[in-house]
Amino acid sequence: MSAESKKVLYGLYNDEEELKSAVKTARQGHLDIMDVYTPFPVHGLDPILGLSESRLHILGFVYGATGALFGFLFMSWALAKDWPILFGGKPYWPVPSFIPITFEMTVLFAAWGMTITFYTICGMWPGVKAKILDNRISDDKFCIAFDVTEVEQRVVSSFKEFFQRTGAAEVHEKTI
Amino acid sequence: MNLNTQFVFESKLKRNLIIGMVIGAVCLAWSAVGDDAFYTRFWTNYLHNAVFFTGIAFTAMFFLSGQITAFAGWMVVIKRLWEAMSQFMLVGIVLLLVVVIGVWGHLHHLYHWNTPGITDPSSSVYDEIIAGKAGFLNPVFFTIGTVGFLAIWYFWAYKLRQNSLAQDEHETPSFDYYKRERKWAASFLPLGGFLSTVFLWQLIMSIDTHWYSTMFAWYSTISLFLGGLALFIALILYLQSKGYLEYVTREHLHDLGKYLFGISIFWTYLWFDQFMLIWYGNIGEETIYFKERMDNYPVLFWGNLVLNFVVPFFVLMRNDTKRKAGTLFFAALLVFFGHWLDFFYMIKPGARIAAIEAMEHSEGGHHGSLKSDIKDLSQAPDVSKMPRVLAGVSAAAAEQSHQGNEQQPTEKIPVTGQGAQDTDHQEPAHGGAQADTHGEHAHHAGDHDGHDGHHEETGRGFQLGYTLPGFQEIGVLIGFLSLFLFFFFRQLERAPLLPLRDPFLEESLHHTTGVYIDGEEGGHDHH
Repeated sequence: MSAESKKVLYGLYNDEEELKSAVKTARQGHLDIMDVYTPFPVHGLDPILGLSESRLHILGFVYGATGALFGFLFMSWALAKDWPILFGGKPYWPVPSFIPITFEMTVLFAAWGMTITFYTICGMWPGVKAKILDNRISDDKFCIAFDVTEVEQRVVSSFKEFFQRTGAAEVHEKTI
Repeated sequence: MNLNTQFVFESKLKRNLIIGMVIGAVCLAWSAVGDDAFYTRFWTNYLHNAVFFTGIAFTAMFFLSGQITAFAGWMVVIKRLWEAMSQFMLVGIVLLLVVVIGVWGHLHHLYHWNTPGITDPSSSVYDEIIAGKAGFLNPVFFTIGTVGFLAIWYFWAYKLRQNSLAQDEHETPSFDYYKRERKWAASFLPLGGFLSTVFLWQLIMSIDTHWYSTMFAWYSTISLFLGGLALFIALILYLQSKGYLEYVTREHLHDLGKYLFGISIFWTYLWFDQFMLIWYGNIGEETIYFKERMDNYPVLFWGNLVLNFVVPFFVLMRNDTKRKAGTLFFAALLVFFGHWLDFFYMIKPGARIAAIEAMEHSEGGHHGSLKSDIKDLSQAPDVSKMPRVLAGVSAAAAEQSHQGNEQQPTEKIPVTGQGAQDTDHQEPAHGGAQADTHGEHAHHAGDHDGHDGHHEETGRGFQLGYTLPGFQEIGVLIGFLSLFLFFFFRQLERAPLLPLRDPFLEESLHHTTGVYIDGEEGGHDHH
């Protein structure tokens, strides 16, 4: 995420089960994993990695509630207070007519808000240069990556030994 | 984990359910005590529960068929429960046959269209609107559209069940039984989808004979579906508490919870659609339906929305509440009761009005029918006193009065209220009468006490068993629920709980939603 480049040591596995057991081994050996890349969502990887539950949906609720309130109050202000309009023989404040739009505003705010939040957290915005370790991790390889930018040689060799022990098909080093 | 499980219907449970059925029978009989001349409370209680539980059996079959047709594998571990629920349609045929016999024998007055002579222009009870619908609303079509359709559905449910049981006994590497199962399931979908609309129009919407709504079949079928789903979830959790279904994990419950959550929102969407279309169109003969219910049944009207939308929406919104037995059970019970109440709301007010008007017919003869129309007028609300939101609905109520009056444009109308004795209006024309009486009403704006008196006289105020469920209604619910569960457990007992030869069994046993919640034990590691 940071703008500075990183030196990364990564190992590629052929199978998600190999990856899962390797992650378990790494966690037991207190190796500090930078990230794990998989071509598809691997169920059950989050708890093994020790990630906590995503809090994005809480924000989603907040965005949705904001959208609902905004839509409803804006329509009420515009159509009933600021410039009252009678249409279709309905009251000045036709609440049932507002409900579909309130619903749409809820969805719009929740969807946009969550998308923008997610992209921001992941460091993705227009013009950003993708930092790709290996093209095959979006195809059929499962990758564990360690940050070795400012790490002693002793630790780097322990990473390499770990890859060898857990059956990584390939091990590479790359600066991204 | 033992996969070869068999449900045992213990005698203690059997006894409790039989006690429940006896309570139901007693309460059903009790609701006929002190009832009106048509035994409306008795018959509405019967119809309400018979339709609700039969409908649950139907939606169980429909849901199962949908799952099978969509190649769903996750639900194989709970497939037998759906099969067992769907078999209740057999009992439903018998239950609804009683209603059908009542229609033929004029034993009840649930359906206004079934009044003798209603389609005969020379009769005093002739109703032009109903006569126009007589091609659809008549005893023959009613019989076909209720028990006839139910028999067709049951045949499909029976075949699907038999096929599933046969699959247990025969090892076939060629997936013969599975292919046959898919044929029965896929062909049931159009049958169930199209026929259920007629089924519910006949049984429930035709209670308000003059009224119609294009959204009604959707709305009421989804209501049944949610009632069935909630009961289904509650039953799984009950069986798990008894030590069965240990292979049903929180992953399966999570998906069922998502159905309960999502379809509750869909129900709200349909509920609102029906309301919105009618509110916006503002046609008197349509708005009267909501007008009546919002004015005289406010607890039912708003309680329906709270129980069936607000509760499941906020309780089941979070991931973890769908994965915990406690919260899911709580939400399921509330939603089950909520949809039972939804059917109560669909049936009771309409049947009550039909009975009141029919009684006024028989008491006061021709004049009586007019009297009831006048009462409608006297109840026309003061628009200025209503919340502005509802004014659209209430404005139509004044227009509503035209029904019936149209037939006798020269009849004298004794206006109730302050000037009841000395003011006799000659009704010039339909439109004029409307404006006239409305003006009259506005004129006597200070005379609301007198109108309240009329509320009681017409019997449209608070009355236990109509405005809200009374003891009898709850008792009848317990009775029918016990009957349903008794039959359900009997069916469950007859086959292994897990269809061990279903091709999707392994997928179902390893089903995962991929959701990870902090602090949950076990995670997804089935291996």
